[in-house]
Amino acid sequence: MINAQRFSVSSGIKHLIVLAFVVLWTLPTAGLLVSSVRDADQLIVSGWWTALVATERNAAHRTGTADSQVEVDNQFRIDGEFFREDSGRTVVSWGTGGRNLDEFQAGDTWVQDDGSRLTVNEDGSYVWLSEQPFEHARGIRLFYIAAIPPRFTMANYERVLAAEGIGRAFVNSVTVTLPATFIPILIAAFAAYALSWMNFWGRSFFLAAIVGLLVVPLQMALIPVLSTYNWLGQTWVGSLGWEPRSYLGVWLAHTGFGLPLAVYLLRNYMAGLPREIMESARMDGATHFKIFITIVLPLSVPALASFAIFQFLWVWNDLLVAIVFLGQGEGRTVLTAQLRELLGSRGDNWEILTSGAFVTMIVPLLVFISMQRYFVRGMLAGSVKGG
Amino acid sequence: MIKKRTLAVAITSAALATGAMAQDLHFPIGEGPFSWDWLEEFENLDLSGQTVTITGPWLGGEQDSIRRVLAYFEDATGANVDYSGSDSFEQQIQVDTQAGSPPNMAIFPQPGLAEDLARQDLLVPLGSDAADWVRENFSDGDGWADLGTFENSSGEEDFYGVMYRVDLKSLVWYVPDNFEDYGYEVPTSMEEMIALSDQMVADGETPWTIGLGSGAATGWPGTDWIEDLMLRLHEPEVYDGWVTNDIPFNDPRVIEAIELFGEFARNPDYVAGGPQAVATTDFRDAPQALFDIPPRAFMHRQANFIPAFFPDDVVVGEDVDFFYMPSYDGKDLGDPVLSAGTMMAITRDSNATRALMQFLQTPLAHELWMAQGEFLTVHLGANTEAYASDVLRRQGEILLGADTVRFDASDMMPAAIGAGTFWTGMVDFVGGASAQEIADDIQRSWDDL
Repeated sequence: MINAQRFSVSSGIKHLIVLAFVVLWTLPTAGLLVSSVRDADQLIVSGWWTALVATERNAAHRTGTADSQVEVDNQFRIDGEFFREDSGRTVVSWGTGGRNLDEFQAGDTWVQDDGSRLTVNEDGSYVWLSEQPFEHARGIRLFYIAAIPPRFTMANYERVLAAEGIGRAFVNSVTVTLPATFIPILIAAFAAYALSWMNFWGRSFFLAAIVGLLVVPLQMALIPVLSTYNWLGQTWVGSLGWEPRSYLGVWLAHTGFGLPLAVYLLRNYMAGLPREIMESARMDGATHFKIFITIVLPLSVPALASFAIFQFLWVWNDLLVAIVFLGQGEGRTVLTAQLRELLGSRGDNWEILTSGAFVTMIVPLLVFISMQRYFVRGMLAGSVKGG
Repeated sequence: MIKKRTLAVAITSAALATGAMAQDLHFPIGEGPFSWDWLEEFENLDLSGQTVTITGPWLGGEQDSIRRVLAYFEDATGANVDYSGSDSFEQQIQVDTQAGSPPNMAIFPQPGLAEDLARQDLLVPLGSDAADWVRENFSDGDGWADLGTFENSSGEEDFYGVMYRVDLKSLVWYVPDNFEDYGYEVPTSMEEMIALSDQMVADGETPWTIGLGSGAATGWPGTDWIEDLMLRLHEPEVYDGWVTNDIPFNDPRVIEAIELFGEFARNPDYVAGGPQAVATTDFRDAPQALFDIPPRAFMHRQANFIPAFFPDDVVVGEDVDFFYMPSYDGKDLGDPVLSAGTMMAITRDSNATRALMQFLQTPLAHELWMAQGEFLTVHLGANTEAYASDVLRRQGEILLGADTVRFDASDMMPAAIGAGTFWTGMVDFVGGASAQEIADDIQRSWDDL
């Protein structure tokens, strides 16, 4: 009895903590999503949690001048509209100065000293009537509180994808990420097999060297690697002829920086596979390549998938390697870099930043959600079965 | 591997092709207030097949504008000019030059960065003829020529950078409707401007909106204030000495300027949101206070580029206007102007690059951008009729009519100061540190260089 109770209390706390984390992680994403489909005008006056209620905004309007008056039934009148047609906005209250916005309610009439009467209706239309002709050359300013109904729009997305270059950057990101994920896995799988199941001189030394490479900070290596790459492409005897700063360069760089971890993870996993299978296969006359392709590779899928996810997310979210090895310009900026550019040029346009950020996030989100299974399994596989 | 390599080449060339997509010429040749004669000498030049790459800080609309200017050069010579802009230009150009793959030409927003590269022999000297050309053709040409003169690694001075596109910083923005509602007049002297501020406070309003926030560059709007005030408090020679540190940062005259800035930024009655808001407000959001109803502030000191961050429906010249940040009547210093600008320099030499440099020095190249807006020039040959609007023309006139023009000091100071401790010092100062403390700190960091 006591045991059961303790169990339920502790699991209750556990659930609460998990719930808190879930909320902590999803809330910003939800906010970002909501903000990214809101109308730009509303976004600057209120937060995303108010997206479903009308927002109020103070504004001013200058009335028409005497030129726009018409004479109807011996009365002179000036008509006008606060809002564009079909905006759905309404006037809450209005006044004659910025400090007294609630002087009049919608529909009220302001009788001026000269006897003219100005009425502002709820739909934002106003009528200014006078017995005498108007003579003012400059309209007067009316101040009002407008209620803006909630409005959601995909226009922000259309704008960032086309005009702000996020669409192009998305393609660039995919171009960078897919090869930069595939190449290191390919190489690392071969290497991991060799390091765990083939006997050759210096095997443990190579393994130690690769593990040692894990601690080299890539920031230190960026510029030397880039200049070596440029030198190989341009100046080296029998130059390889590639462009300075190209996609090939960024693929190679990501491969190089990703390999140590890939080899280490995969070797740990492959070394943990049962020795008996390999030995019986060998006895049946299978070559190393045959064993690798038919036995080890299928058995290593969880580890391969887990590393693929890691590498994919890392490359997708990478900014530093991309801007160093690819540089700038439309054909070259990846999503993270383009988002950074937007931050500079459009730092005050929240609707653009939020929709741009969401486009950037969507792929990692999908990858994570759809491959979550492998994620956990593979992480355990690489660490627990170390050998 | 071969396969991948061809793929890479295919992709990069596709990228180049879109970059160089033939653009229609924006203004028809032979019409309008442009000096089309200058195009002739380039028409005789055949540079087909040559590519000139340029990197610079211009993005968005500015990137469109420069490409339209470059299109005339491409059209006349057959060369291909590939401009790419980046918000991280400062880092990109260092990576490019260090790794041995620089563009042909770079547009530097800060002369200090160009100076650093020149010292490492990474810039191509333009020769004394180019310097003489600047002296003759730019208003206050000696100053602009000196600005582009740097030392190389062996300490020899040469001329490297030509200014293209100048910013005017000594402007105060206001909403004429708000001034009219309250019966305020545009001040014509510093004394009047302070009296006007006090008047606004007496009326229960807040005169200023100041925002120092700017991501990693937070603090720079404060340095502009100090620079503008320095020019209004002291002789230009004091300013020059301050820039080179011949006059230390903690000199009483510099501290006087910092304290004067404090009278604006640290005065709870003077700034919207109080001094705490000054450090946390982004410079792009700061002008919003002018447009709020009721207005949260009436005046905003910022350079000519700030309208890019005004709300979309605001028309400059009607809904919002500017006045020259006035000087003290009581001091005999004339009308000083604080400026900034972008400098073109060659990072990898070629015939076509030299020709493009020539082209960008013609009045025509200046007029072509002036007519698209957001461009000021000190080129005396450029036809001011070409300015896209009266607003720009008025700004151009302030620039040409100034008694003293000085370049943004923080852009000329070593990066560790001008883009480092000076910026952070501004944030500390607004946060409550005394002018003496931050000036001592900045001077100490300068001594440590």
